[in-house]
Amino acid sequence: MSTTSLERSRRLRFERRLSSSIGWTLTTYGVAVALSLLLTLGLIVMSGADPIKAVSALLKGGFGSVKAITDTMARATPLILTGLATVVAYRAQIWNIGQEGQVYAGAMAAFGAMLWIGAAPFWVLLPVLVMAAIMGGMLLGALTAVLKSRFSVNEIIATVMMNYLVVLLLSWLIGGGPWTEVGATVVYQQSAAFPEDSWLPYLLGSKKLHLGFVLALMAAFACHILLKRTALGYEIRAMGANPVALSYRGTNVKTTLLIVMMISGALAAMAGFSEAFGNTHRLRSDTLMGFGYTGILIAMIGGLTPWGTVVAALIFGGLESGALYMKLTAKVPGALVPTMEGILMLTFLCAGVLARYRLVWGTSK
Amino acid sequence: MNQLLDSAILISIFAGMLRVMTPILFAAIGELITQRAGIWNMGVEGTMLMGAFTAYFVATSTGSIWLATLAAIAAGGVMGLLIALLTASLKVDHFISGLAINLLIAGLTLYWFRIYIEGRPQPTFQGFTNLALPWLSELPLLGPILFNQRFLTYLALLSVPGVWFLLYRTRWGLEIRALGENPRVLDLRGHSVTARQYGAILFGSMMTGLGGGFLMLGFSDRFLADITAGRGWLAIVAIIAGRWRPYRTLGAVTVFALLESLATHVQVLGLGVPHQLFLALPYLVSLFILMGLRGNTHQPARLGLPYFR
Repeated sequence: MSTTSLERSRRLRFERRLSSSIGWTLTTYGVAVALSLLLTLGLIVMSGADPIKAVSALLKGGFGSVKAITDTMARATPLILTGLATVVAYRAQIWNIGQEGQVYAGAMAAFGAMLWIGAAPFWVLLPVLVMAAIMGGMLLGALTAVLKSRFSVNEIIATVMMNYLVVLLLSWLIGGGPWTEVGATVVYQQSAAFPEDSWLPYLLGSKKLHLGFVLALMAAFACHILLKRTALGYEIRAMGANPVALSYRGTNVKTTLLIVMMISGALAAMAGFSEAFGNTHRLRSDTLMGFGYTGILIAMIGGLTPWGTVVAALIFGGLESGALYMKLTAKVPGALVPTMEGILMLTFLCAGVLARYRLVWGTSK
Repeated sequence: MNQLLDSAILISIFAGMLRVMTPILFAAIGELITQRAGIWNMGVEGTMLMGAFTAYFVATSTGSIWLATLAAIAAGGVMGLLIALLTASLKVDHFISGLAINLLIAGLTLYWFRIYIEGRPQPTFQGFTNLALPWLSELPLLGPILFNQRFLTYLALLSVPGVWFLLYRTRWGLEIRALGENPRVLDLRGHSVTARQYGAILFGSMMTGLGGGFLMLGFSDRFLADITAGRGWLAIVAIIAGRWRPYRTLGAVTVFALLESLATHVQVLGLGVPHQLFLALPYLVSLFILMGLRGNTHQPARLGLPYFR
């Protein structure tokens, strides 16, 4: 292209591909997976544990029995939902990380609604709680969109700040504020237990897997239809690819941004709702922590597609649920799994770039 | 409220402010260089966390806090290499690579920490003590606030004019600013854009690592998960609020630090206000500052846009 490329002739170098090649793409992602597994093994060795024992404990704990598999499905439920929230927003290239706060908002809004209507049979309560959770998440999502479109506040920074604010709000509400469990000390940071009428019913005789998993799969199906089959889905994808072209087409990009963020917020909020009413049955801060951030990793590893996200959530939900068993039997800390997710996301990012290049040996054009 | 006006408490609040601003200031002043070079580094939080963990690990295993300080800088440098590889070489989107870095480091530091303390009580260390400057520390009011601080706090404050000089009075600084505004000019003259971006990212990340190290060595004697608690993000907000200028960035960092110092003092004094409200103030103020700017920020023209020749 210029003098510098002449100087650099006759050596191994990368050249941009004109079209993608499936074989090369698979190769780069294969290398990424292999490299991630290798690094993860290195981390296990670092802990002084036997890697074979640790990995088999991890897999056995996650997928080794019917109970392990239903536990895995329960563990994957919030991750599917926060992953889908990420898919919808990131396909439109809205790089926000508000999912974490939206999870909290969903759980809090549903809890507030439950206090407001008081005792009621489950099938009356369920739609109200779901609606409340969705509205809580939508509110935060809409706020992000307005901050971006009206005040030009970068969405990553805005959502980081809002995440801290929402977590602090809950910390006050259940740690000294009006929602604190009566009779418990402030230190516990929890609300009173929910009445059993509000619990999401368990499925398949499991004591962990609950109705939330079905809701998550329905949400995945809805996202698939949304992205593939609707005009809005087209706009979302176009907004990611070329927002200027989209606005020339006559689409109001600000409105699309608002809608996308509200959908994303609603999905993440469902994760908070299903975790609080399906698993912990009370509001606590620590049990909701991290689902938003893990959802980002899951969605990126799942290639920002709804079904890819479901698969990634099931795999990593399994590993997270197996991590407890690994910790007990092989003494490897459970934080291995989020680390592995981070490594995979990084190597996938690099693989995504390399897939667009080819290795060339020789003089340049 | 009378207590607040008491001069001992006033001194304590402002001296505390200088101490809590140190880690954010190191990160903000360092990343200012990175951002002026056109790199929107969103991995500040993760880099800072890595610096803090490394400092803790080295301080508790060798017993030397000076070695720990150097190790924190080196850890920042390693993070910088990773960020530079992603953004300057591979041209991955700056936002998404920063996110990946933060998520990875949050998991990795926790994992290493758990391995490190496995089966024993968490080791502690003796952190930095104050270095009272002769004469100056005896000045009334100003002395105990400004001149009886940790050594690294003085260094952080001095880094502001240092970076100002670097940016506006040296050839190196001119090149950095050109990277953020119009990298093609450098490229056409035969200067490597990528190499200079590596330099700017390394400088910013090493400063951020040092900030993380101070967070450990200047405050605490034990590591906690997510100990940075958003300080890396506050550093980024301070740069935006400071409109990418060193002294204004210092001003923004001062505001955040004052709020944080007030929060800890209110907690101790117990004014009957929920302490979460005060903890929330830096984040609330950040949002309002960013809203007030309305995008009118004088940001470098090529910030966050990968350079392709």
